[in-house]
Amino acid sequence: MASDTSEAASSPPDLKLQFAPFSSALEAGFWHQLTQKKLNDYRLDESPKSIKGYYYNGDPLGLPTRLTLEFSAFEVDGPTPAHCCPATGTLYNTNTLDAFKTTDKKALLEKEAKEIWDSIQSGAALKDPSILCKFILLTFADLKKYHFYYWFCFPALCFPEGIKIIQQPSALEQVFSAKQITALQEAYDVLCIKRGTTAEPYFLMKYTADTVQMAPLEDWDTFITDTKKVTVGVYDPCTLSQHPGWPLRNLLVLLASQWGSKLDTVEVLCFRDRTLQGSRSIQHGVIFQIKLPELPLNSACPKSVGWEKNPKGAMGPRMVNLSECMDPKRLAESSVDLNLKLMRWRLVPSLDLDKVVSTKCLLLGAGTLGCNVARTLMGWGVRHITFVDNAKISYSNPVRQPLYEFEDCLGGGKFKATAAVDRLTKIFPGVNAEGHNMSIPMPGHPVNFSEATLSQAQTDVEQLEKLISEHDVVFLLMDTRESRWLPTVIAASKRKLVVNAALGFDTFVVMRHGLKTAPVSRGVSAAADSSTSCSSASSSSSTPAGPAPSVPASSLFSNIPGHKLGCYFCNDVVAPGDSTRDRTLDQQCTVSRPGLAMIAGALAVEMMVSILQHSEGGYAVASSSDDRMNEPPTSLGLVPHQIRGFLSRFDNVLPASMAFDKCTACSPIVLDNYEREGFNFLSNVFNSSHSFLEDLTGLTLLHQETQAAEIWDLSDDESI
Amino acid sequence: MSRGVLDEESFRLCCRLLLQRSEQLRDGWSWKAVQGSEEGYLRKTALRSVVIDPSPARDQEGSGSDSEPRTSCQSCPDQQGREKEESALVASVDTDRVSGAIDDDEDDEDDGVCTVSGGSSQVLQYEYHILHSCSYAAPVLYFRAFTQEGRSLTLEEVWSSVHPSFRLRLQSSPLNTISLQEHPLLGQPFFMLHPCRTEEFMRPVLQAQDQHRPVNYVLSWLSVVGPVVGLDVPLKYSTSPGSSTEPH
Repeated sequence: MASDTSEAASSPPDLKLQFAPFSSALEAGFWHQLTQKKLNDYRLDESPKSIKGYYYNGDPLGLPTRLTLEFSAFEVDGPTPAHCCPATGTLYNTNTLDAFKTTDKKALLEKEAKEIWDSIQSGAALKDPSILCKFILLTFADLKKYHFYYWFCFPALCFPEGIKIIQQPSALEQVFSAKQITALQEAYDVLCIKRGTTAEPYFLMKYTADTVQMAPLEDWDTFITDTKKVTVGVYDPCTLSQHPGWPLRNLLVLLASQWGSKLDTVEVLCFRDRTLQGSRSIQHGVIFQIKLPELPLNSACPKSVGWEKNPKGAMGPRMVNLSECMDPKRLAESSVDLNLKLMRWRLVPSLDLDKVVSTKCLLLGAGTLGCNVARTLMGWGVRHITFVDNAKISYSNPVRQPLYEFEDCLGGGKFKATAAVDRLTKIFPGVNAEGHNMSIPMPGHPVNFSEATLSQAQTDVEQLEKLISEHDVVFLLMDTRESRWLPTVIAASKRKLVVNAALGFDTFVVMRHGLKTAPVSRGVSAAADSSTSCSSASSSSSTPAGPAPSVPASSLFSNIPGHKLGCYFCNDVVAPGDSTRDRTLDQQCTVSRPGLAMIAGALAVEMMVSILQHSEGGYAVASSSDDRMNEPPTSLGLVPHQIRGFLSRFDNVLPASMAFDKCTACSPIVLDNYEREGFNFLSNVFNSSHSFLEDLTGLTLLHQETQAAEIWDLSDDESI
Repeated sequence: MSRGVLDEESFRLCCRLLLQRSEQLRDGWSWKAVQGSEEGYLRKTALRSVVIDPSPARDQEGSGSDSEPRTSCQSCPDQQGREKEESALVASVDTDRVSGAIDDDEDDEDDGVCTVSGGSSQVLQYEYHILHSCSYAAPVLYFRAFTQEGRSLTLEEVWSSVHPSFRLRLQSSPLNTISLQEHPLLGQPFFMLHPCRTEEFMRPVLQAQDQHRPVNYVLSWLSVVGPVVGLDVPLKYSTSPGSSTEPH
């Protein structure tokens, strides 16, 4: 760093010695520990605390001169890393940002400088020269945002006139012979052993052509016999070739104040000791000579400097934002994401996670199916989940509905839609969940009892339309058939992907609804339908078309493109009506084997994910059971139309079926009526019996025809 | 041990031998004991100076084949570190608001300080821990990387500092799965190389070992997994004449 420029500048004869300042280095563990200390020990205590850092003289060239504080900085008596020198510091942790700002930095520095000066005067620094290398750390920890404000100071006493260089800095290997260097290394190791350390911050030195002797500073009087030229060694963390590091600064003040008048020349060895790939070397150390200015004993404390500049080079504090690694909510989010990415990195490289994660899911029903679907969506990292339900949590629910607890049933029970949101947020705060406690109007469940009920129904319809518009995928997870009718119609009209799951006692169906082609082509004619087919050669166009384009019989079970797939109601020959009337309790409630909802809920989500991975999405050709042996259409495998499961046999099949042109929910005539008349049409459906929809779609006619056919059959039988 | 697994006692023995050698080689490993228990871990820190491209459009993580690395990195940086770096990894410091700066008219001139150019290279600190996993009966490598301010890097950021050739290997290699885990002894978030395949790749190493030159499980394992996350294991560990590496 900048060593070139400094070297170039070192030619003028009357050069003053310049030092490389410390640059603070904090380990991640330090901030974690400061947080713990603040929360558990310090709390509101702002009094100064002793802490500890260290510096190292073995860095490769180019690294800044660092003073490092790690996790263990708060254990002042703890060990220092091997071959490192300790530095003691004072921590001022303020309670407010304001206190941090208004703290008198100059006073702090002067106080610390005075202590160093006093220890020099008293001789204490001679005995324990580590006193010379101190630091101040001023902090404010904003533990709500995990923002840490800090400012380091490395106090250094100054000579008013600077320090004159007599002999330019040179690399040790240019001044010392190989033999001397070896002797120097040995002498240093011996000194360390004698002192019981692995690093000595300062030492005295004498040498001849082939010997080197070392002694600690306190042995000055006995060791130094000739004060014409004295050699001192400093453990030097700097890597610049022309400058010593900061620790030398206060040592020179000590020398000047203790012996300044007696010393002629001081030779300084910046001892640098590096090991690369197991090979140790010290020959890159720096050696130079200076003339120390006078600094009379008992004079006033010299001027001091030392506040660290911030990254902008200004005299100001630093701030580090650690929310990403300390805020538990952020941690949960990145862990969840990372887990999903692993699936991609390791198993399914072409998996498009963003498509899944960014999908907005509307869950109609927050019961057994809704709870399980929501949990599986969370597992996939889906962030946007909205519940619609009108029920309250009852005592029987929590054991089967994993988002609720016993407590939720008390006092009449909480609303499911909102309780589910609360629980999702508890499970994963990063989720963007919403709950709507509302009813979905149903065919055969009249809404025209009063003005109020009618306008309520209208509001509900509008709300549902809005919700479906705002989401990408609609899950139908209700417990009655007829409640699925309205969202089926709306979603078909808005071309939203619908995933439907329904349970029997030990059977289930999970299916995607056919996704109609864009509105422009619809209604023109059935011919237009096939021409806009977005699936390629594999679509029904390759099969011999039947006389009526709407019934290509040969492709009934294979290669049905997504836009021709049926919906939940396509297979029915009766319109949905009030299924709760005239039924026993076990028929009204879904009574199913308890594992069924988890299986079906999970499959519904996995089906959605597979659909999303297909390049054509909801228009993807339906895979069938026969495709199990073929090359799968997506990185995750098949994209079936339906999964029908039979728990008694532990078996699933993958049927596919065409949209039915007389379907009571998705046939063109129903959609047409809905789109033209809106709520008027819908309220007619709600208020009427079956026959309204059946008449509209032609089902009534179909029934009559079928009955006629049956009569024929019967008469045949009779004839036998 | 030849089954490819490592019990806790052997783990500690291997660590002790590794430490001895590390001390001789000054490789920087140290043993951190957990207070009041036998448990502990090996720890080492390393520094890397990184030069960052001024346009760090954070690419889609993963696929790896998509683009050239935007970050160049050397573990033994020489003078190149001087190149201008942009503050992609530096937390956006908005400390101007927080001035509280020193109103120093007389302090402004410290002619005893050498000017270190402000645009120095970004220094990243890496911290590596080796722990023993009881359930996998294997050593586990935990690591994190952070800026000089102590801000931990995200996996994407660590990723960009991994040498490109290793990046590919990290994705395709069955050895390694990185996940974000709480350090079992410190309770702080660390990245972890999952040990699920360790036994698998260690078994042949152990079966091939020579009677006369026994294998230090932890050392051999480390030489496989370490380089993937920038942790070098000097060859001198294995060419040691003095110390035996046999844990039995």
